[in-house]
Amino acid sequence: MQMKLYIQAYYKFNPFLSNCIRSHFGPLLNSPNFASFCTTRERFNKNLMEFFEDKKNWGKDEIRSGRSWKTDELRIKSNEDLHKLWYILLKEKNMLLTMEHFYKENYILFPSPERIDKVEESMKNLETVVRERNKAYYMLETGEDGERPGVMVHNAIGLPMYHKQEQHDIPKYENIQWKKNNVHEFDYEECREFLKLYREKIRKEDNYRRKKNNRYVKGLLKRFKNVDIDYLKEIYPDVNVDQYKNHDFQIGHWEV
Amino acid sequence: MRLTFILQDFKKVGELTKQYSNLPDSYIKRSMEQIIYRTPDKPNYLRRSVGKKQIKFTENRPWTIQSKLENTLFTKTPVIYVEPIRDWSIFKGDRVEILVGRDKGKQGIVIQVIQERNWVLVGNLNMKITTMKMFKRKPSTVIREEQPLRVTDQVSLIDPSDMLPCKIEWRYTEEGEKVRVSLRSGRIIPIPILAKETYDYKTRTSYEEKDKDTTADVVSKITFTPRLCTFEMDLMDKVGIKEDRIPSPVYWY
Repeated sequence: MQMKLYIQAYYKFNPFLSNCIRSHFGPLLNSPNFASFCTTRERFNKNLMEFFEDKKNWGKDEIRSGRSWKTDELRIKSNEDLHKLWYILLKEKNMLLTMEHFYKENYILFPSPERIDKVEESMKNLETVVRERNKAYYMLETGEDGERPGVMVHNAIGLPMYHKQEQHDIPKYENIQWKKNNVHEFDYEECREFLKLYREKIRKEDNYRRKKNNRYVKGLLKRFKNVDIDYLKEIYPDVNVDQYKNHDFQIGHWEV
Repeated sequence: MRLTFILQDFKKVGELTKQYSNLPDSYIKRSMEQIIYRTPDKPNYLRRSVGKKQIKFTENRPWTIQSKLENTLFTKTPVIYVEPIRDWSIFKGDRVEILVGRDKGKQGIVIQVIQERNWVLVGNLNMKITTMKMFKRKPSTVIREEQPLRVTDQVSLIDPSDMLPCKIEWRYTEEGEKVRVSLRSGRIIPIPILAKETYDYKTRTSYEEKDKDTTADVVSKITFTPRLCTFEMDLMDKVGIKEDRIPSPVYWY
């Protein structure tokens, strides 16, 4: 009951938000297990509110933030610092995702959604730095990078697929169950037929793209008099630019 | 195959617009694509998606709501021919002379660069005046807006020595810096400060720190000391966990 009053007082300034949040936490607050959920209520309140945004940012259209961490900046930091930073970022991401969900349920635009991408980018950079350090150690000690191995194999249909390898207790020739689930061979006539048609489809799409590029280059030469032709050749290596350069159809309305 | 079409459009976004936005690439890519349905990433599905594949680039930035309203679903995007340019030479804050139209021969300062269309907006020049009559009895409002100008032939940079339009070339100084040089007088045309402006700050020094930002002192502090151990081993040492067990041999397949 006290918790309920507390939340009501907390959200009083914005009646719309307060209604939304009350409807969310209503069943949780009334449940009998609520008391066993936490040791002290003050601590519980504090920890629960870390899932939500800061109070002063509510109702804003835009929340400004800085840029993400770069790999060069993370390479200076010690392992312990990186470990701490990871959990700060994870917490922030958790908070942002809950807020996004909350706004989506109430049909409001989520303010500055690029923050999620910024956090994700810095998490990705942090992981690369950690991986680099581990790789260096394993290369020095064992001569192999300690990454999970994988191979390119062919599907049961015959399409190329990247297979992530796993650890097993028994060798491959004894493991019958694995062989049933993972088929990396295709010796059926239907597969060959399928692959033939699939290749034809890809060839057609490539042909379409080539023709489209040809058409685009023709249009460029027709419209713009002083095109940098060497640069055009670099961008479109498939197109024969010299063929279209002085063609009669490509001469525009300007004086030659 | 269809997913590649979306990625192609993201490649067209200019570097200057990305620099101005100060946003991660993944967000720009995410905000540009308008996909209703995408097949789940499972072997029994082919990679298909339903939605808008291409975008028409205009004065509005591609991640804004305005551009989304322009490029609504099931509207056709026309084929637009854009001349490829190797080295972009006109930046925000440059003084420029207009070569065509009503304001021919006038000089102004570049407000905005739209690299996707080879366009430039010059402040208070080449304006279009439109009258908007919203209600019958009330007086109508007049709106003035800058119209875009093509970089290649409708606008030219100005030589600061004689304040006349000139052709330029990119050259290197003895120190290895890349600079713009006017071909007539051989004078260097410096790149303005406004060129490095972003959405968050005018200049780097004038940036105001937010609540959740880490300060520059903390970022530049070196705390890493190289040791012969992995990330996990180092942390275990710090916490005080000892691991002497030897893992049994396993088969990888």
